[in-house]
Amino acid sequence: MLTLILGGAASGKSEYAEGLVLSQPGPHIYLATMEPWGQEGAARVEKHRRARAGRGFRTVERYIGLNSLSLPPDASVLLEDLGNLTANELFHPAGGGADTVLSGLAYVTANCKNLTVVSNEVFSGGPDYGGDTLRYLKTLAAIHRALAARADRVVEVVCGLPDVWKEAAP
Amino acid sequence: MIFITGPLFAGKRDYVRTALGWTEAELSANAVWDVQDLAAGTEDLVALTDELARSPVVIATEVGGGVVPIDPEERARREAAGRLACLLAERADAVIRVFCGIPRALKGELL
Repeated sequence: MLTLILGGAASGKSEYAEGLVLSQPGPHIYLATMEPWGQEGAARVEKHRRARAGRGFRTVERYIGLNSLSLPPDASVLLEDLGNLTANELFHPAGGGADTVLSGLAYVTANCKNLTVVSNEVFSGGPDYGGDTLRYLKTLAAIHRALAARADRVVEVVCGLPDVWKEAAP
Repeated sequence: MIFITGPLFAGKRDYVRTALGWTEAELSANAVWDVQDLAAGTEDLVALTDELARSPVVIATEVGGGVVPIDPEERARREAAGRLACLLAERADAVIRVFCGIPRALKGELL
């Protein structure tokens, strides 16, 4: 089961996604894509990791290159978040670009039982961007569309409530 | 007239081409897109709506979701784009919003 969850900043998408993944069979893996920067970042990541462990998630950190990840085949995986992973693959010196994001997602989908991907809805503020920001938006949008086409479910979370855009017949 | 709207890069034109089996040339001949950019250039949005509604398919990108721009011209442009979209939606037989490549009918039926 592949689920794509989208929402704006602080829309409640993470909480919704966590609840969804925990309702699926374990083991529950939290695939964290953010590279912690500095002491403050590291402390924040550690705090979240502990909180998630209390809720039954094992945290796996991977900022780029998902296609060499080792996962339990029966895992329910929560990837947070795709906006971040895409930025890493585009702008990190070791990143592999948009194709690596898509092949990584295909790899994870094939190597676990359930994958839930959280991403950011950042496309309603107009087209007045340039350079790398515009390139980022175009790339992320293309990845969203490709993933949505493959997904069993696409959900937009608005103030904590799910708006289901796609639900494949069981 | 069918009005298609949705966020930036959501796959609006792709949806129309796929749903109607149109080629790029057929799309160019039968649809207008990025009409949000035309709104700021006119005094008369109703006349612009009349003109655009002669096209079987009219496509606009939603541009009103960000913070209100500080620049007055940008602010006016965004305001006009939103008003034009409302007028087009009122006039349209169907209004379809495309999100992440997925269409949803807000008025009337899907293509």
